[in-house]
Amino acid sequence: MRCQRCHKEASIHLTERVKGQRRELHLCPGCARKAGLTLPDSPPDLALDSVVQTLIVAHVGELVGELAERTCPDCGLKFMEFRAGGRLGCPRDYRVFAAGLLPLIQRYHGATRHVGKTARPADRAEERLRLRTRLREAIAREDYEEAARLRDQLRPEEIQA
Amino acid sequence: MTLDDLTKSSGEWLRGTGPESDIVMCSRIRLARNLADFPFTNRASRSEKTEIEANFRAAIAHAHLELSYLDVNGLGTLDRQFLVERQIVSRELANSDGPRGVAISSQENVAIMVNEEDHLRVQYMLSGFRLPEVWESINHLDDQLEEQLAYAFSSELGYLTACPTNVGTGIRVGVMLHLPGLVQTKQIDKVFRALQKINLAVRGLYGEGSQASGDFYQISNQQTLGKSEPELIKILTDVVPQVLQYERNARQTLLTERRQHLHDQVSRAYGVLKTAQTISSEETMLLLSSVRMGINLGLIDDLSIATVNELFIQTQPAFLQKLRGSELGVEERNVERASYLRRRLSNGRQPPPH
Repeated sequence: MRCQRCHKEASIHLTERVKGQRRELHLCPGCARKAGLTLPDSPPDLALDSVVQTLIVAHVGELVGELAERTCPDCGLKFMEFRAGGRLGCPRDYRVFAAGLLPLIQRYHGATRHVGKTARPADRAEERLRLRTRLREAIAREDYEEAARLRDQLRPEEIQA
Repeated sequence: MTLDDLTKSSGEWLRGTGPESDIVMCSRIRLARNLADFPFTNRASRSEKTEIEANFRAAIAHAHLELSYLDVNGLGTLDRQFLVERQIVSRELANSDGPRGVAISSQENVAIMVNEEDHLRVQYMLSGFRLPEVWESINHLDDQLEEQLAYAFSSELGYLTACPTNVGTGIRVGVMLHLPGLVQTKQIDKVFRALQKINLAVRGLYGEGSQASGDFYQISNQQTLGKSEPELIKILTDVVPQVLQYERNARQTLLTERRQHLHDQVSRAYGVLKTAQTISSEETMLLLSSVRMGINLGLIDDLSIATVNELFIQTQPAFLQKLRGSELGVEERNVERASYLRRRLSNGRQPPPH
Protein backbone atom coordinates (compact mmCIF):
# COMPACT_ATOMS: atom_id res chain seq x y z
CA MET A 1 0.00 0.00 0.00
CA ARG A 2 1.36 3.40 -1.03
CA CYS A 3 1.10 6.65 0.89
CA GLN A 4 -1.75 8.71 -0.58
CA ARG A 5 0.35 11.86 -0.43
CA CYS A 6 3.83 10.95 -1.62
CA HIS A 7 3.59 7.33 -2.84
CA LYS A 8 6.22 6.04 -0.43
CA GLU A 9 5.36 2.85 1.41
CA ALA A 10 2.47 3.61 3.77
CA SER A 11 2.76 2.31 7.31
CA ILE A 12 -0.14 4.14 8.94
CA HIS A 13 -3.58 2.93 7.94
CA LEU A 14 -6.74 4.43 9.30
CA THR A 15 -10.30 3.38 8.68
CA GLU A 16 -13.28 5.34 9.82
CA ARG A 17 -16.99 4.68 9.62
CA VAL A 18 -19.40 7.60 9.53
CA LYS A 19 -23.10 6.93 9.01
CA GLY A 20 -22.34 3.59 7.40
CA GLN A 21 -19.69 5.11 5.08
CA ARG A 22 -16.20 3.67 5.22
CA ARG A 23 -13.23 5.98 4.80
CA GLU A 24 -9.62 4.93 4.50
CA LEU A 25 -6.41 6.82 4.88
CA HIS A 26 -2.96 5.42 4.15
CA LEU A 27 0.13 7.45 4.94
CA CYS A 28 3.89 7.01 5.24
CA PRO A 29 5.46 8.00 8.58
CA GLY A 30 6.73 11.31 7.13
CA CYS A 31 3.37 12.47 5.81
CA ALA A 32 1.59 11.22 8.90
CA ARG A 33 3.90 13.36 11.03
CA LYS A 34 3.23 16.39 8.82
CA ALA A 35 -0.48 15.74 9.22
CA GLY A 36 -0.10 15.76 12.97
CA LEU A 37 -0.46 12.00 13.31
CA THR A 38 2.57 11.35 15.51
CA LEU A 39 1.35 7.99 16.65
CA PRO A 40 4.12 6.61 18.87
CA ASP A 41 4.26 9.74 21.01
CA SER A 42 0.58 10.53 20.86
CA PRO A 43 -1.29 10.90 24.09
CA PRO A 44 -3.54 7.88 24.51
CA ASP A 45 -6.69 9.96 24.34
CA LEU A 46 -5.87 11.56 20.96
CA ALA A 47 -9.08 12.23 19.15
CA LEU A 48 -8.07 10.34 16.01
CA ASP A 49 -11.48 10.66 14.47
CA SER A 50 -11.34 14.42 14.36
CA VAL A 51 -7.80 14.41 12.94
CA VAL A 52 -8.82 12.01 10.19
CA GLN A 53 -11.92 14.02 9.49
CA THR A 54 -9.83 17.17 9.03
CA LEU A 55 -7.52 15.34 6.65
CA ILE A 56 -10.34 13.99 4.55
CA VAL A 57 -11.94 17.38 4.31
CA ALA A 58 -8.58 18.75 3.20
CA HIS A 59 -8.35 15.99 0.58
CA VAL A 60 -11.80 16.13 -0.91
CA GLY A 61 -12.80 19.64 0.06
CA GLU A 62 -16.49 20.15 0.53
CA LEU A 63 -17.12 17.13 -1.67
CA VAL A 64 -17.67 14.44 0.86
CA GLY A 65 -19.98 11.46 0.77
CA GLU A 66 -20.87 9.91 -2.53
CA LEU A 67 -18.21 11.57 -4.68
CA ALA A 68 -15.37 10.82 -2.27
CA GLU A 69 -16.33 7.16 -2.42
CA ARG A 70 -16.91 6.99 -6.16
CA THR A 71 -14.65 4.57 -8.07
CA CYS A 72 -14.05 4.50 -11.83
CA PRO A 73 -15.33 1.16 -13.12
CA ASP A 74 -12.61 1.10 -15.80
CA CYS A 75 -9.40 1.98 -14.03
CA GLY A 76 -10.42 1.49 -10.41
CA LEU A 77 -9.32 4.98 -9.34
CA LYS A 78 -11.15 6.54 -6.40
CA PHE A 79 -11.77 10.27 -6.38
CA MET A 80 -9.99 10.38 -3.00
CA GLU A 81 -6.90 8.90 -4.62
CA PHE A 82 -6.99 11.55 -7.33
CA ARG A 83 -7.21 14.29 -4.70
CA ALA A 84 -4.21 12.80 -2.93
CA GLY A 85 -2.02 12.10 -5.98
CA GLY A 86 -3.22 14.64 -8.54
CA ARG A 87 -3.27 12.19 -11.46
CA LEU A 88 -6.28 10.60 -13.12
CA GLY A 89 -6.31 6.94 -14.06
CA CYS A 90 -7.98 6.83 -17.47
CA PRO A 91 -9.82 9.04 -19.98
CA ARG A 92 -13.18 7.94 -18.60
CA ASP A 93 -12.40 9.52 -15.22
CA TYR A 94 -13.30 12.91 -16.66
CA ARG A 95 -16.92 11.76 -16.88
CA VAL A 96 -17.00 9.56 -13.78
CA PHE A 97 -15.66 12.37 -11.57
CA ALA A 98 -17.10 15.30 -13.55
CA ALA A 99 -18.81 16.75 -10.46
CA GLY A 100 -15.51 17.00 -8.63
CA LEU A 101 -13.27 17.82 -11.57
CA LEU A 102 -15.19 20.57 -13.30
CA PRO A 103 -14.95 23.09 -10.42
CA LEU A 104 -11.23 22.37 -10.22
CA ILE A 105 -10.80 22.75 -13.99
CA GLN A 106 -12.81 25.99 -13.93
CA ARG A 107 -10.59 27.36 -11.17
CA TYR A 108 -7.33 26.42 -12.93
CA HIS A 109 -8.16 27.26 -16.55
CA GLY A 110 -10.97 29.75 -16.12
CA ALA A 111 -12.98 27.64 -18.55
CA THR A 112 -14.63 24.24 -18.86
CA ARG A 113 -15.06 24.04 -22.60
CA HIS A 114 -12.40 23.10 -25.15
CA VAL A 115 -11.64 25.48 -28.00
CA GLY A 116 -9.12 24.56 -30.67
CA LYS A 117 -7.87 21.51 -32.49
CA THR A 118 -10.12 18.46 -32.54
CA ALA A 119 -9.41 14.76 -32.92
CA ARG A 120 -11.65 12.23 -34.61
CA PRO A 121 -13.78 10.14 -32.25
CA ALA A 122 -12.04 6.94 -31.20
CA ASP A 123 -13.91 3.84 -32.32
CA ARG A 124 -14.97 1.46 -29.53
CA ALA A 125 -12.40 3.05 -27.21
CA GLU A 126 -14.49 2.72 -24.05
CA GLU A 127 -15.34 -0.87 -24.79
CA ARG A 128 -11.68 -1.67 -25.34
CA LEU A 129 -10.71 0.17 -22.19
CA ARG A 130 -13.21 -1.99 -20.30
CA LEU A 131 -11.84 -5.17 -21.90
CA ARG A 132 -8.38 -4.19 -20.75
CA THR A 133 -9.63 -3.71 -17.20
CA ARG A 134 -11.18 -7.17 -17.26
CA LEU A 135 -7.92 -8.52 -18.69
CA ARG A 136 -5.92 -6.99 -15.86
CA GLU A 137 -8.35 -8.44 -13.34
CA ALA A 138 -8.24 -11.88 -14.98
CA ILE A 139 -4.45 -11.91 -14.83
CA ALA A 140 -4.54 -10.78 -11.21
CA ARG A 141 -6.71 -13.75 -10.23
CA GLU A 142 -4.65 -16.05 -12.47
CA ASP A 143 -7.60 -16.87 -14.71
CA TYR A 144 -5.47 -17.36 -17.82
CA GLU A 145 -8.26 -18.88 -19.88
CA GLU A 146 -10.36 -15.75 -19.50
CA ALA A 147 -7.25 -13.62 -20.07
CA ALA A 148 -6.55 -15.39 -23.37
CA ARG A 149 -10.15 -14.90 -24.45
CA LEU A 150 -10.02 -11.18 -23.63
CA ARG A 151 -6.71 -10.81 -25.43
CA ASP A 152 -8.31 -12.30 -28.54
CA GLN A 153 -11.13 -9.79 -28.30
CA LEU A 154 -8.64 -6.96 -28.08
CA ARG A 155 -6.40 -8.21 -30.86
CA PRO A 156 -8.16 -7.74 -34.23
CA GLU A 157 -8.28 -3.94 -34.04
CA GLU A 158 -4.68 -3.64 -33.02
CA ILE A 159 -3.64 -5.34 -36.21
CA GLN A 160 -5.75 -2.89 -38.19
CA ALA A 161 -4.28 0.00 -36.24
CA MET B 1 21.09 6.79 -34.44
CA THR B 2 22.76 5.77 -31.20
CA LEU B 3 23.50 7.67 -28.03
CA ASP B 4 27.15 7.85 -28.93
CA ASP B 5 26.26 9.55 -32.21
CA LEU B 6 24.51 12.19 -30.14
CA THR B 7 27.69 13.11 -28.29
CA LYS B 8 29.23 14.04 -31.64
CA SER B 9 26.48 16.40 -32.69
CA SER B 10 24.31 19.02 -31.09
CA GLY B 11 20.68 19.97 -31.49
CA GLU B 12 19.54 22.50 -34.10
CA TRP B 13 18.02 24.53 -31.29
CA LEU B 14 21.52 25.37 -30.01
CA ARG B 15 22.63 26.83 -33.30
CA GLY B 16 22.00 30.40 -32.22
CA THR B 17 20.16 31.28 -35.42
CA GLY B 18 16.67 32.60 -36.06
CA PRO B 19 15.01 35.86 -35.02
CA GLU B 20 16.06 37.44 -31.69
CA SER B 21 18.56 34.65 -31.09
CA ASP B 22 20.79 36.97 -29.04
CA ILE B 23 18.19 36.52 -26.28
CA VAL B 24 15.84 33.76 -27.42
CA MET B 25 17.77 30.50 -27.32
CA CYS B 26 14.85 28.47 -28.64
CA SER B 27 11.11 28.24 -29.14
CA ARG B 28 9.42 25.07 -28.02
CA ILE B 29 5.92 23.59 -28.07
CA ARG B 30 4.81 20.33 -26.54
CA LEU B 31 1.51 18.50 -26.87
CA ALA B 32 0.19 16.02 -24.31
CA ARG B 33 -1.62 13.12 -25.97
CA ASN B 34 -3.05 9.82 -24.73
CA LEU B 35 -4.34 6.73 -26.45
CA ALA B 36 -8.12 6.37 -26.02
CA ASP B 37 -8.24 2.71 -25.09
CA PHE B 38 -5.56 2.50 -22.40
CA PRO B 39 -5.46 3.68 -18.81
CA PHE B 40 -3.11 6.66 -18.26
CA THR B 41 0.55 5.77 -17.69
CA ASN B 42 0.40 5.86 -13.86
CA ARG B 43 -2.40 3.29 -13.92
CA ALA B 44 -1.17 1.15 -16.83
CA SER B 45 0.31 -2.29 -16.24
CA ARG B 46 3.76 -3.17 -17.51
CA SER B 47 2.33 -5.10 -20.43
CA GLU B 48 -0.02 -2.24 -21.30
CA LYS B 49 2.93 0.16 -21.34
CA THR B 50 4.73 -2.25 -23.66
CA GLU B 51 1.67 -2.26 -25.92
CA ILE B 52 1.48 1.55 -25.91
CA GLU B 53 5.14 1.67 -26.87
CA ALA B 54 4.60 -0.89 -29.64
CA ASN B 55 1.54 0.95 -30.99
CA PHE B 56 3.50 4.18 -31.07
CA ARG B 57 6.47 2.60 -32.84
CA ALA B 58 4.14 1.05 -35.41
CA ALA B 59 2.52 4.46 -35.91
CA ILE B 60 5.80 6.23 -36.65
CA ALA B 61 6.74 3.45 -39.06
CA HIS B 62 3.38 3.60 -40.89
CA ALA B 63 3.48 7.38 -41.09
CA HIS B 64 7.04 7.14 -42.48
CA LEU B 65 8.31 9.56 -39.87
CA GLU B 66 12.07 9.72 -39.84
CA LEU B 67 12.58 9.33 -36.14
CA SER B 68 14.97 7.17 -34.12
CA TYR B 69 13.47 5.46 -31.10
CA LEU B 70 15.55 5.20 -27.94
CA ASP B 71 14.42 2.62 -25.42
CA VAL B 72 14.91 4.60 -22.21
CA ASN B 73 14.05 1.60 -20.04
CA GLY B 74 17.13 -0.17 -21.37
CA LEU B 75 19.48 2.72 -20.64
CA GLY B 76 21.72 3.20 -17.62
CA THR B 77 21.53 6.17 -15.26
CA LEU B 78 24.28 8.09 -17.04
CA ASP B 79 22.68 7.76 -20.46
CA ARG B 80 19.32 8.82 -19.11
CA GLN B 81 20.91 11.86 -17.44
CA PHE B 82 22.59 12.65 -20.75
CA LEU B 83 19.18 12.82 -22.47
CA VAL B 84 17.85 15.11 -19.75
CA GLU B 85 20.82 17.46 -20.22
CA ARG B 86 20.07 17.67 -23.93
CA GLN B 87 16.44 18.59 -23.19
CA ILE B 88 15.32 15.49 -25.07
CA VAL B 89 13.58 13.83 -22.12
CA SER B 90 12.19 15.15 -18.84
CA ARG B 91 13.62 14.27 -15.45
CA GLU B 92 10.33 12.51 -14.78
CA LEU B 93 10.77 10.15 -17.75
CA ALA B 94 14.43 9.55 -16.92
CA ASN B 95 13.71 8.66 -13.30
CA SER B 96 10.52 6.62 -13.68
CA ASP B 97 10.50 2.91 -14.47
CA GLY B 98 8.88 0.44 -16.83
CA PRO B 99 8.67 0.42 -20.62
CA ARG B 100 9.25 3.96 -21.90
CA GLY B 101 11.29 5.81 -24.49
CA VAL B 102 11.75 8.75 -26.77
CA ALA B 103 11.65 9.18 -30.54
CA ILE B 104 13.93 11.91 -31.88
CA SER B 105 14.70 13.42 -35.26
CA SER B 106 18.27 13.71 -36.53
CA GLN B 107 18.47 17.43 -35.73
CA GLU B 108 16.80 16.87 -32.36
CA ASN B 109 13.99 19.29 -33.25
CA VAL B 110 11.46 16.53 -32.57
CA ALA B 111 11.38 14.55 -29.35
CA ILE B 112 8.35 12.41 -28.56
CA MET B 113 8.38 10.88 -25.09
CA VAL B 114 6.43 7.67 -24.62
CA ASN B 115 4.90 6.65 -21.27
CA GLU B 116 5.77 9.82 -19.44
CA GLU B 117 2.94 11.34 -17.37
CA ASP B 118 0.90 11.08 -20.57
CA HIS B 119 1.28 8.29 -23.14
CA LEU B 120 2.81 10.76 -25.58
CA ARG B 121 4.54 14.06 -25.00
CA VAL B 122 5.26 15.46 -28.44
CA GLN B 123 7.89 18.20 -28.45
CA TYR B 124 9.14 20.44 -31.25
CA MET B 125 11.98 22.94 -30.81
CA LEU B 126 13.59 25.51 -33.10
CA SER B 127 16.39 27.95 -32.36
CA GLY B 128 15.36 31.61 -32.08
CA PHE B 129 11.93 33.17 -31.65
CA ARG B 130 9.80 31.19 -34.10
CA LEU B 131 6.69 29.98 -32.32
CA PRO B 132 4.29 30.10 -35.31
CA GLU B 133 6.75 27.98 -37.32
CA VAL B 134 7.08 25.53 -34.44
CA TRP B 135 3.29 25.30 -34.19
CA GLU B 136 2.95 24.61 -37.90
CA SER B 137 5.49 21.79 -37.67
CA ILE B 138 4.17 20.17 -34.52
CA ASN B 139 0.56 20.47 -35.67
CA HIS B 140 1.44 18.61 -38.84
CA LEU B 141 3.38 15.97 -36.91
CA ASP B 142 0.43 15.54 -34.54
CA ASP B 143 -1.93 15.08 -37.53
CA GLN B 144 0.34 12.37 -38.91
CA LEU B 145 0.35 10.56 -35.58
CA GLU B 146 -3.39 10.91 -35.18
CA GLU B 147 -3.98 9.19 -38.50
CA GLN B 148 -2.39 6.10 -36.93
CA LEU B 149 -3.46 6.36 -33.30
CA ALA B 150 -6.84 6.84 -31.60
CA TYR B 151 -6.38 9.75 -29.18
CA ALA B 152 -8.36 10.23 -25.97
CA PHE B 153 -10.50 13.24 -26.87
CA SER B 154 -13.85 14.64 -25.78
CA SER B 155 -15.75 17.36 -27.61
CA GLU B 156 -16.34 19.24 -24.33
CA LEU B 157 -12.91 18.94 -22.70
CA GLY B 158 -10.62 18.37 -25.70
CA TYR B 159 -7.56 16.16 -25.38
CA LEU B 160 -7.82 14.20 -22.13
CA THR B 161 -4.66 14.14 -20.03
CA ALA B 162 -3.53 12.40 -16.85
CA CYS B 163 -3.44 15.73 -15.04
CA PRO B 164 -6.40 18.12 -15.44
CA THR B 165 -3.95 21.05 -15.62
CA ASN B 166 -3.09 19.95 -19.19
CA VAL B 167 -6.57 19.09 -20.43
CA GLY B 168 -8.02 20.78 -23.53
CA THR B 169 -5.33 21.63 -26.04
CA GLY B 170 -2.67 19.75 -24.05
CA ILE B 171 -0.29 22.44 -25.28
CA ARG B 172 2.67 24.05 -23.57
CA VAL B 173 4.11 26.94 -25.55
CA GLY B 174 7.49 28.09 -24.34
CA VAL B 175 10.57 30.13 -25.10
CA MET B 176 13.97 29.82 -23.50
CA LEU B 177 15.43 33.25 -22.86
CA HIS B 178 18.92 34.37 -21.89
CA LEU B 179 18.42 37.29 -19.48
CA PRO B 180 21.77 38.23 -17.92
CA GLY B 181 21.04 41.95 -18.26
CA LEU B 182 17.88 41.76 -16.19
CA VAL B 183 19.65 39.58 -13.62
CA GLN B 184 22.60 41.97 -13.26
CA THR B 185 20.43 45.07 -13.04
CA LYS B 186 18.29 43.23 -10.47
CA GLN B 187 15.08 43.73 -12.42
CA ILE B 188 14.45 40.06 -13.08
CA ASP B 189 12.08 39.49 -10.15
CA LYS B 190 9.93 42.41 -11.22
CA VAL B 191 9.62 40.93 -14.72
CA PHE B 192 8.78 37.50 -13.32
CA ARG B 193 6.08 38.88 -11.08
CA ALA B 194 4.52 40.64 -14.06
CA LEU B 195 4.61 37.39 -16.08
CA GLN B 196 3.11 35.37 -13.27
CA LYS B 197 0.32 37.90 -12.95
CA ILE B 198 -0.76 37.12 -16.50
CA ASN B 199 -0.64 33.41 -15.71
CA LEU B 200 2.67 32.53 -17.39
CA ALA B 201 5.12 30.15 -15.73
CA VAL B 202 8.84 30.92 -15.37
CA ARG B 203 11.44 28.18 -14.87
CA GLY B 204 15.22 27.78 -15.18
CA LEU B 205 17.14 25.88 -17.88
CA TYR B 206 16.49 22.53 -16.21
CA GLY B 207 13.48 23.59 -14.20
CA GLU B 208 15.34 25.31 -11.37
CA GLY B 209 15.54 29.09 -11.34
CA SER B 210 18.79 30.86 -10.55
CA GLN B 211 22.12 31.96 -11.98
CA ALA B 212 23.20 28.35 -11.58
CA SER B 213 21.31 27.80 -14.82
CA GLY B 214 23.33 30.41 -16.71
CA ASP B 215 20.66 33.15 -16.60
CA PHE B 216 18.41 31.05 -18.84
CA TYR B 217 14.72 31.17 -18.15
CA GLN B 218 11.83 29.38 -19.77
CA ILE B 219 8.53 31.18 -20.04
CA SER B 220 5.41 29.19 -20.87
CA ASN B 221 1.63 29.18 -20.66
CA GLN B 222 -0.24 27.41 -17.87
CA GLN B 223 -3.79 27.60 -19.16
CA THR B 224 -4.54 24.88 -21.72
CA LEU B 225 -8.35 24.88 -21.86
CA GLY B 226 -10.78 27.47 -23.22
CA LYS B 227 -8.38 29.09 -25.69
CA SER B 228 -7.29 27.71 -29.04
CA GLU B 229 -3.67 26.85 -29.76
CA PRO B 230 -3.10 30.00 -31.89
CA GLU B 231 -4.64 32.13 -29.12
CA LEU B 232 -2.32 30.61 -26.52
CA ILE B 233 0.67 31.08 -28.82
CA LYS B 234 -0.34 34.71 -29.36
CA ILE B 235 -0.10 35.38 -25.60
CA LEU B 236 3.58 34.44 -25.81
CA THR B 237 4.26 36.21 -29.10
CA ASP B 238 2.72 39.38 -27.62
CA VAL B 239 4.53 39.28 -24.29
CA VAL B 240 8.00 37.97 -25.19
CA PRO B 241 8.96 41.03 -27.31
CA GLN B 242 8.33 43.21 -24.24
CA VAL B 243 10.66 41.03 -22.17
CA LEU B 244 13.24 41.25 -24.97
CA GLN B 245 12.95 45.04 -24.90
CA TYR B 246 13.51 45.09 -21.11
CA GLU B 247 16.57 42.85 -21.52
CA ARG B 248 17.98 45.04 -24.31
CA ASN B 249 17.43 48.16 -22.21
CA ALA B 250 19.16 46.51 -19.26
CA ARG B 251 22.14 45.52 -21.42
CA GLN B 252 22.31 49.08 -22.81
CA THR B 253 22.27 50.48 -19.27
CA LEU B 254 25.15 48.17 -18.33
CA LEU B 255 27.05 49.22 -21.45
CA THR B 256 26.64 52.94 -20.94
CA GLU B 257 26.86 53.17 -17.16
CA ARG B 258 29.30 50.38 -16.41
CA ARG B 259 31.06 49.74 -19.68
CA GLN B 260 34.52 49.25 -18.24
CA HIS B 261 33.26 47.05 -15.45
CA LEU B 262 31.19 44.98 -17.88
CA HIS B 263 34.05 44.61 -20.36
CA ASP B 264 36.32 43.52 -17.52
CA GLN B 265 33.77 41.00 -16.24
CA VAL B 266 33.26 39.51 -19.70
CA SER B 267 36.99 39.32 -20.46
CA ARG B 268 37.79 37.72 -17.12
CA ALA B 269 35.02 35.19 -17.62
CA TYR B 270 36.39 34.30 -21.04
CA GLY B 271 39.92 34.15 -19.63
CA VAL B 272 38.99 31.78 -16.82
CA LEU B 273 37.06 29.48 -19.15
CA LYS B 274 40.02 29.33 -21.55
CA THR B 275 42.64 28.61 -18.90
CA ALA B 276 41.11 26.98 -15.80
CA GLN B 277 42.48 23.59 -14.77
CA THR B 278 39.47 22.61 -12.71
CA ILE B 279 36.03 24.20 -12.75
CA SER B 280 32.60 23.43 -11.32
CA SER B 281 29.41 23.26 -13.33
CA GLU B 282 27.96 26.27 -11.47
CA GLU B 283 30.96 28.50 -12.17
CA THR B 284 30.99 27.38 -15.81
CA MET B 285 27.33 28.34 -16.29
CA LEU B 286 27.89 31.70 -14.64
CA LEU B 287 30.95 32.51 -16.76
CA LEU B 288 29.45 31.20 -20.01
CA SER B 289 26.51 33.50 -19.40
CA SER B 290 28.84 36.53 -19.21
CA VAL B 291 30.69 35.40 -22.33
CA ARG B 292 27.44 34.90 -24.22
CA MET B 293 26.31 38.42 -23.38
CA GLY B 294 29.79 39.72 -24.24
CA ILE B 295 29.57 38.25 -27.75
CA ASN B 296 26.13 39.79 -28.28
CA LEU B 297 27.39 43.20 -27.14
CA GLY B 298 30.45 43.03 -29.39
CA LEU B 299 32.92 42.76 -26.50
CA ILE B 300 34.19 39.36 -27.70
CA ASP B 301 34.66 38.81 -31.42
CA ASP B 302 36.52 35.52 -31.84
CA LEU B 303 33.86 33.11 -30.55
CA SER B 304 30.53 32.03 -32.04
CA ILE B 305 27.22 32.06 -30.18
CA ALA B 306 26.61 28.48 -31.34
CA THR B 307 29.77 27.31 -29.55
CA VAL B 308 28.76 29.01 -26.31
CA ASN B 309 25.22 27.61 -26.58
CA GLU B 310 26.64 24.12 -27.04
CA LEU B 311 28.98 24.53 -24.09
CA PHE B 312 26.05 25.19 -21.74
CA ILE B 313 24.92 21.63 -22.51
CA GLN B 314 28.28 19.99 -23.15
CA THR B 315 29.80 20.95 -19.81
CA GLN B 316 27.01 19.16 -17.92
CA PRO B 317 28.08 16.10 -15.91
CA ALA B 318 26.65 13.29 -18.04
CA PHE B 319 27.96 14.70 -21.32
CA LEU B 320 31.50 14.91 -19.94
CA GLN B 321 31.32 11.35 -18.69
CA LYS B 322 29.93 10.10 -22.00
CA LEU B 323 32.73 11.90 -23.80
CA ARG B 324 35.31 10.40 -21.50
CA GLY B 325 33.65 7.00 -21.73
CA SER B 326 33.63 6.36 -18.01
CA GLU B 327 31.97 7.47 -14.82
CA LEU B 328 33.74 10.33 -13.08
CA GLY B 329 33.52 11.72 -9.54
CA VAL B 330 32.90 15.42 -8.92
CA GLU B 331 36.59 16.36 -8.77
CA GLU B 332 37.45 14.37 -11.88
CA ARG B 333 34.53 15.95 -13.70
CA ASN B 334 35.77 19.43 -12.79
CA VAL B 335 39.16 18.60 -14.29
CA GLU B 336 37.56 17.04 -17.38
CA ARG B 337 35.28 20.06 -17.77
CA ALA B 338 38.18 22.52 -17.61
CA SER B 339 40.16 20.48 -20.10
CA TYR B 340 37.17 20.28 -22.48
CA LEU B 341 36.60 24.04 -22.22
CA ARG B 342 40.26 24.76 -22.96
CA ARG B 343 40.11 22.59 -26.08
CA ARG B 344 36.85 24.10 -27.33
CA LEU B 345 37.89 27.70 -26.64
CA SER B 346 41.50 27.54 -27.88
CA ASN B 347 40.01 28.50 -31.22
CA GLY B 348 36.52 29.86 -30.95
CA ARG B 349 35.15 28.43 -34.18
CA GLN B 350 36.65 24.99 -33.92
CA PRO B 351 34.09 22.17 -34.13
CA PRO B 352 33.81 19.79 -31.17
CA PRO B 353 36.84 17.46 -31.02
CA HIS B 354 36.28 13.72 -31.40
